Amino acid sequence: MNEHVIHRVRDLPSAHLLGAGTAMCAGCGGLGALHQVYDVLGEKTVFVNAAGCMTLLANYPFTPFKGSWLYTAMASAPAGAQGVRDALDVLLAQGRLPPAEDLAPVVLTGDGSAYGMGLSATSAAIERGLDFLYLCYDNEGYGNTGQQSSGATPHAARTATSAGGRGHPGFKKDLFAIWAAHAPAYVATVIGAEPLDLARKVETAIGLKGPRLILALAPCPTGWDFEPAALVDVGRLAVNTGIFPLKEYRDGRITHTRIPRPRLPVEAYLSTQGRFAHLFSPRRDDAAIAAIQAQVDRYWQGVA
Amino acid sequence: MTRRLLTGNAAAAWGARLAGVDYVPAFPITPQTEIIETLARWFDGGEMRGRLTMLESEHSMVTAAAAAAATGVRVFTATSSQGLLYAMEMIHAVPGWRVPFVLANVSRGLATPITLEPDHNDVLAARDSGFLQIHCASCQEVHDSVLIAYRLAEDARVRLPVIVNLDGFYLSFTREPVEVADPAAARAFLPPFTGRGIEFRASRPVSQAAAVLGGSQYSYFRYETHLAALQALPAYAEIAAAFAEAFGRHHPAVEAYRSDDAEFVFVMIGSFATKARDAVDRLREAGARVGLVRPRLLRPFPAADLRRHLLGKRGIAVIDQNLSFGKGGVLHAELASVLYGEPGAPLLASFIGGLGGRDFAPEEFYEMIDVTRRAADSGRAPEPRLLYTAGELREMRKLQAIAAVERHEDGAGKP
Amino acid sequence: MYRIRFHGRGGQGMKTASCILGDAFFAEGFEVQDAPRYGAERRGAPIFAYVRADRAAINERGIIARPDLVVVADDTLVTVPAAAVLQGVGARTVLLICSNDDAATWTARLKRDCRVLTLPAPAAPEAGQAQAGVGALCAGAAAALVGVIGRAALERAVAAELAAHGAPVVARNTAQALAAYDALAAHQGLVSAGGAVDAGARAPVDWIDLAAEDAAAAAPDIHATATSLKAATGLWRVMRPVIDHAHCHKCSWICSTLCPDSAIAVDADHAPRIDYDHCKGCLVCVAVCPSHAIRAIPERGAAGAVP
Repeated sequence: MNEHVIHRVRDLPSAHLLGAGTAMCAGCGGLGALHQVYDVLGEKTVFVNAAGCMTLLANYPFTPFKGSWLYTAMASAPAGAQGVRDALDVLLAQGRLPPAEDLAPVVLTGDGSAYGMGLSATSAAIERGLDFLYLCYDNEGYGNTGQQSSGATPHAARTATSAGGRGHPGFKKDLFAIWAAHAPAYVATVIGAEPLDLARKVETAIGLKGPRLILALAPCPTGWDFEPAALVDVGRLAVNTGIFPLKEYRDGRITHTRIPRPRLPVEAYLSTQGRFAHLFSPRRDDAAIAAIQAQVDRYWQGVA
Repeated sequence: MTRRLLTGNAAAAWGARLAGVDYVPAFPITPQTEIIETLARWFDGGEMRGRLTMLESEHSMVTAAAAAAATGVRVFTATSSQGLLYAMEMIHAVPGWRVPFVLANVSRGLATPITLEPDHNDVLAARDSGFLQIHCASCQEVHDSVLIAYRLAEDARVRLPVIVNLDGFYLSFTREPVEVADPAAARAFLPPFTGRGIEFRASRPVSQAAAVLGGSQYSYFRYETHLAALQALPAYAEIAAAFAEAFGRHHPAVEAYRSDDAEFVFVMIGSFATKARDAVDRLREAGARVGLVRPRLLRPFPAADLRRHLLGKRGIAVIDQNLSFGKGGVLHAELASVLYGEPGAPLLASFIGGLGGRDFAPEEFYEMIDVTRRAADSGRAPEPRLLYTAGELREMRKLQAIAAVERHEDGAGKP
Repeated sequence: MYRIRFHGRGGQGMKTASCILGDAFFAEGFEVQDAPRYGAERRGAPIFAYVRADRAAINERGIIARPDLVVVADDTLVTVPAAAVLQGVGARTVLLICSNDDAATWTARLKRDCRVLTLPAPAAPEAGQAQAGVGALCAGAAAALVGVIGRAALERAVAAELAAHGAPVVARNTAQALAAYDALAAHQGLVSAGGAVDAGARAPVDWIDLAAEDAAAAAPDIHATATSLKAATGLWRVMRPVIDHAHCHKCSWICSTLCPDSAIAVDADHAPRIDYDHCKGCLVCVAVCPSHAIRAIPERGAAGAVP
């Protein structure tokens, strides 16, 4: 299936599948992405969840899902998806499951699992060619425990474990590249602030078989320290400053689905969030801001 | 029905094959690997229908096993030692999913130091997980126990995963005559799994393994898992009786060998128990009234059966092939908890032996009975005894000399 | 022993209130226990923290079942069952509510025999601004009511707890705490220390023997869908988005798609409709509406918010 049903914003669903009333924070960028993704994926899915903020989506006896869910553990959600997929395949092959009863396993994890503890299980699921979708809500830290730094934390961001004057000394790991290096069926970055781009990528992913990643940057009012109302602004700035490139990998090729023109200076994004406040106050840290800008510039120089 | 020579590993694989297992998530580890290699060959050759998937770790393997079980297929998996421990987060997590499957654990001592030979600290680390545990003493028992384990795991009163435990090397790599069940008879004893409402289906959405907030809900779900494990006792008795009827071999929850009129009794689990059985025969020949009581079920703990077999005896030699550091033998403590305060409770003498596969000499069994007898005469339980001889210590000293531990101790080895 | 509970919303500083009061009691020579109640608390969600203080060592633990004093930072929570503000409130409990309604109004409304006091509610935040913390105010009020904490100890406690946030924050909160302390000067010592549960004349415990139940029921599995709708996350809301349908361009998707909580649906005629039972008040819709047809009003006083 290569046909898109969603061509224009007006094609976006206006009634939503995911139930309201979850325990996610007000203005949660991860939930924002999930609710858009779910509208496209539909309810013939089983979400296989790893430990993270979204563990509390299914909090007995409450669930927002119209389809199914299985909680596993932080390290092994892709293995849970493997077990479900394998079992469904066995049942289908033996005629014990009508095809109409089949479900698509969707791994749902935060960046803590996707970039760190769950990476081994993820890599192995990809190498086995598991037919699954992986949705990562990346809020660039261990958000559910109070935003400690993770493998996804960007350079200079203040977190609960990098609260010093310079913020996080490390650099955000390139999960997109790690996935692409496995040559899977599909890898895409999305953000809730760009719903049409997100919906089209999820549609593309549904039409493919094999391992597929939807990596959603999830601006986090609680962990990044901004007002919930600014969720979409922060997300758009992540894209328009070029800090978070919207792109997809397919058939060995990487395509940028949005090239920000003009590309805004990174400080337009950094200055919206308390986690970068030390770059601007009490004294502006020009060197640190310039270094972040230079890194983003280098990235886009490499994009033809 | 024919008997053939099979290793314990092959017997476990045959059990899974005859159970009509649909799915095997696998990961290699010595001394278990032969099980998954055998199954892989059968799936490839079409002798088994379904799928074997190699996972990248035991943690993932147990996750996949439980996830597939939650989807409604019959699942078998196997591991050993460090692998069981690597999976331990999921070993404790998945019984609460209340889905049935069987895991064969090939017991092997735990690091450190790393070793290959067996003791029971690995499987006892899973004691409090909610997995039921069946401990085998022979290759035949391994074969039979896998079939029994599926009936038990899938019983509506139970619905919990089951570990079938066999000792590394002494069973895993040891060939013994095994009567492999006739496939039709196995199928009659264990009909194909139908899921019975355990499923992920498009038309019947379900959220499985949800979180709870608060100790009250948590208490309910956890205690229900405990009650289900307790219900496995009557369920096991029925299933073992049905098995005996179908195959002529009886595997009660507790094996009692020549213990009815015994004054003194060995209590132990696992394959070395057959050596204790032999010691009982020799001691009987020498005029001592001695028996063996061997729990095959360790979880649920067959407390009533053990009381029935042990109350009124003069003394029990409890042999633990495990060690809880800072406490002692696990079986000793478990046994004490079900005998204490009961009328006719025997004296318990605690022995630690067989760590890392260290062998038992026949004389050691005889000596243990002497120690237990003297203790019963005096009315005081002896200090726990490690089965370890002066000769072994002399050999150890030689190794330490080569390892130059003395020089290291006094710093003389430093330049 | 003094047993005090602070009720508010995630982000209002109830943990800070319990820490400040705990520090102040401790400085006055009391043995102290203070703790927030942890759970899935999120900003805006009902939350509470508690303080125990006694001259003797404290062995009691856990949630305070029979409070001597309950301080409510946000009056919209008082009658919300999920917030459990009134749990264990009896005749000798003092209930202090930050509210613009007076004590007589609340007494009539609650129909309880507890003593009710009020302090003026803090000003509502501007649209797009966070609700300012009121932890110091609540701690100051509680310090006055127990009557065993001096003004100086309170002041030092505020400084100690908030020092990491810088001098301006300390100054603002100190002023808040002392203003509340002084405002309640007439009620110094109104709250008295309560006793323990009497072992001689206790209520019976209705323990039962739990029976083994069918695994389908006894596993934490949810066989229904979208049951989250039964969770009234609308209670978290401090600010309420209101659609001005005359200005709505009926784009049919922007607010509805970008609402992270699936709390805005679009009717057949393309008009968006906000589900106030679940809207958490993040105000993303206010920020993204291109025709500025959605505005935010304080929840307090909005239709249906307070009975």
